[in-house]
Amino acid sequence: MNYLFIANACVWLGVGGYVLFLARQHSVLERRVRQLEILDGDE
Amino acid sequence: MISSSLAIARKDLRLAFAGGQGPVQAVLLGLLLVFIFSLSAAPGERFSAQQAMAIFWLCSSFGVVLIFSLLFRFEEENDTATALLLSPLPVQSLWLGKTLAGLMLLLLCQVFFFPAALVFLGLDPGSNPAGLVLMVLAVDVGLCVLGGLIGAMGHGQGAKDALLTIIVFPLQIPILLGGIRIGVGLMQGTPLGGLADWFGLVMAFDAVFAGAALFLFPHVFRGE
Amino acid sequence: MGMFRIYPKILMILAGASMALMAVGQYAIWYHAPEELTMGLVQKIFYFHLPLAWWSFVAFFGVCVSSVMVLWTGREHWDVLAGVMAEVGVLFSGLALVTGSIWGRAAWNTWWTWDPRLSTTLVMWFVYAGYLVLRSADVGGTKGAKMRAVLGIVAFVDVPLVFLSARLWRSIHPAVLASKGGGLEPEMWTAVWINVLAWGALFATLVLARYHGAGLKRRVEAALIRIQEKTLQ
Repeated sequence: MNYLFIANACVWLGVGGYVLFLARQHSVLERRVRQLEILDGDE
Repeated sequence: MISSSLAIARKDLRLAFAGGQGPVQAVLLGLLLVFIFSLSAAPGERFSAQQAMAIFWLCSSFGVVLIFSLLFRFEEENDTATALLLSPLPVQSLWLGKTLAGLMLLLLCQVFFFPAALVFLGLDPGSNPAGLVLMVLAVDVGLCVLGGLIGAMGHGQGAKDALLTIIVFPLQIPILLGGIRIGVGLMQGTPLGGLADWFGLVMAFDAVFAGAALFLFPHVFRGE
Repeated sequence: MGMFRIYPKILMILAGASMALMAVGQYAIWYHAPEELTMGLVQKIFYFHLPLAWWSFVAFFGVCVSSVMVLWTGREHWDVLAGVMAEVGVLFSGLALVTGSIWGRAAWNTWWTWDPRLSTTLVMWFVYAGYLVLRSADVGGTKGAKMRAVLGIVAFVDVPLVFLSARLWRSIHPAVLASKGGGLEPEMWTAVWINVLAWGALFATLVLARYHGAGLKRRVEAALIRIQEKTLQ
C-alpha cells in the first residue's frame, strides 16, 4: 500500500514539476514577446 | 567505392603513424583502465571471466571514441574536408575509409588490451582462440561502423565533440553485451554453435548501423 | 502566425479532456479495478506504469518520424517537434522507470533487476537524455538540424537491438500482455484502457504546450532581430 502511494506521488510530482516548468517558461516568453512587440511598434 | 575507401584508409593510417603518435592515447587510456580496475580486487583474488570481459570491452569502447576523434581531426587540421567533398568520390567512401582505418587502429589497441587483461585481471583465454578472434572482429566492426558515423558529427565542432560520447556509449550497449557474453561463453568452452543467438545479434548490429550510416553519412558530413 | 493563435484553444480543449480522462482513470484504478490476488494493492502501480512506458515509446518513435521528416523536407518545425517529443518521452520513461523500480521493490523485494523491458527503457532513457543534452548544447552549428535528425534516427534504430540483447541476457518481467488475456479480469482491462487513453491525452497536451512554447521563443528571436536591424539603420 505504501509503495503504491509513493509511486503515485512520484508520478504526479514529476508531471506537476514539468507542467510548472512549462508554465513558467511560457509566462516569461509571453512577457518578452509583448515587450518586444511594443518596442518594435514604437520605432 | 571500395578502392577509394581503401585509399582513404591508407592515407589516414599513414597520417596516424606519421607523427609517431598513432593510437597511443587510446592504448594508454585502455591500459590505465585495466590497471585501475585490477585494484578493485583484493591481492591474489581473480576476476570472473565476465568482469574481465566487461573491462576489456569498456577499454575498447573508450578507444573507439578516441580513435575516431583522431581520424576526423586530420581533415580539420589539414582543412581537407572540403577537398574530399569536392572530389568525385562518393561521400560514403569517406565513411567506409574512416571505418576501415578505425578498425585497424582498434585492433592494434586490443593487441595491447588483451595481454594486459591476462596479466592484471587473470583472464583465462580458454581453448578457442579462433572463436575469440572471430568474436572480437565481429564486435569491432559494429563499434567502428557506429564510431565512423557519430565521429563525423564531431568534425568541426571544437570541444563540443566530447559531448557526443554521452550518446555513443548507450548506443553501443547491445553490442557490448554481445561481446561480453560471447567472450565469457568461449572462455568457458561453449562451442560456437551454442552462441549463435549472440553472434546473430552482433551481426544484426553491424548490418543495421552499416545500412543506417550509408544512408545518413551524407547528411552529417557536409561542407559549411 | 495564424497557427499560434489557434493553439491556445486546442490546448485548452486537450488539457480539459486529459484532466477529465485522468479523473475517470483514477476512479477506475482506486474503485473499479479489483485487487489483484497474489500481488495485492501494489499491482495497481501497473495502471500508470504501463501507459507511461507505452507513451514514452510512442514519443521516441515520434522523434524518429520527425527526424526523417527533417531530412526529407528540411522544414524547421519538424526539428522542433522532434526535440519536444524527446523531452516528453524522457519525462515519461523516467517516471515509468521510477514506478517500475518501486513496483519491483514491492513485488520482488529488489529496487532494480535485469529485465528486458526495464533495461531497454533505461538504455533508451540514457540515449534520449543524451540527445536532449546535445540539443541544448547546440551541437552542429549551421548543420545542427540535420545532425540532430541523424541522431534521432540512429537512436531509434538502436531500440530493437537493445531489447533483443537485453532479452538474451535474462528476464523475470511478468508477461502481462504476452499470454492471451494475461490473467487480467475485465474490470482491470477497463482500467488499463482508460488510463492508456488518459495518459495519451496528457501526452498530446504536453507536446502541444511545449511546441507552442517553442513557437513563442521563435517569435522573441524574430522580434529581437527586427529591432536590431532597425537600430542599425
